[in-house]
Amino acid sequence: MAFYENTIVARQDLAEKELKVLKEKYNEIINSSSGKVIKIEEWGLINLAKKIKNYNKAFFIHFKFEGSGTTLREIEKKAKIDRSIIRHLTVKYKKLDTRNEFFNKTKK
Amino acid sequence: MKRKNKKFQKRGSSSLNKLSLFQKNDGKFSRKCPLSIKNAPVLDYKNVNLLKNYISDNGKIISSKITSVSFNKQKKLTREIKRAKILGLL
Repeated sequence: MAFYENTIVARQDLAEKELKVLKEKYNEIINSSSGKVIKIEEWGLINLAKKIKNYNKAFFIHFKFEGSGTTLREIEKKAKIDRSIIRHLTVKYKKLDTRNEFFNKTKK
Repeated sequence: MKRKNKKFQKRGSSSLNKLSLFQKNDGKFSRKCPLSIKNAPVLDYKNVNLLKNYISDNGKIISSKITSVSFNKQKKLTREIKRAKILGLL
């Protein structure tokens, strides 16, 4: 088991309900496929540096979880098909720091 | 004695009045790496404000010759910048 971080870039024109559904959907996917979610962060609406698929802004959802290869495969599969997701990124870490939040500080 | 001390200090302060080629030039060009001091900022793709200092206006990564980042940290820096670019943060 190793620690991972997964960031999802969702479309700008989603409603709040759809965002919640999206968040819970991936939460379940991780938990059901031999993984364990440690923390979920919502970064909110952020300006993109350049246009991606004709969107100037996007919602960011950030997962910190513990899992294995099977969890990663499940996420990649679902994220590729999903139409409400523009981009996604998973990064492996030896240690997760759950204290630092780079995006919430700017909001407050 | 005082005179000697003064001369010694002057030589150290600027890189222009070197005596030979093999003398190390300190001053502007041999600045220490800003990312490997104590309590250095965390290199992470989420730390966008830090990464913005190390890319040009066109989005290119600035070479370590100019920013004087150490070789080890420069490799990590490029990796994090590329990750941030995938997500559209930079």
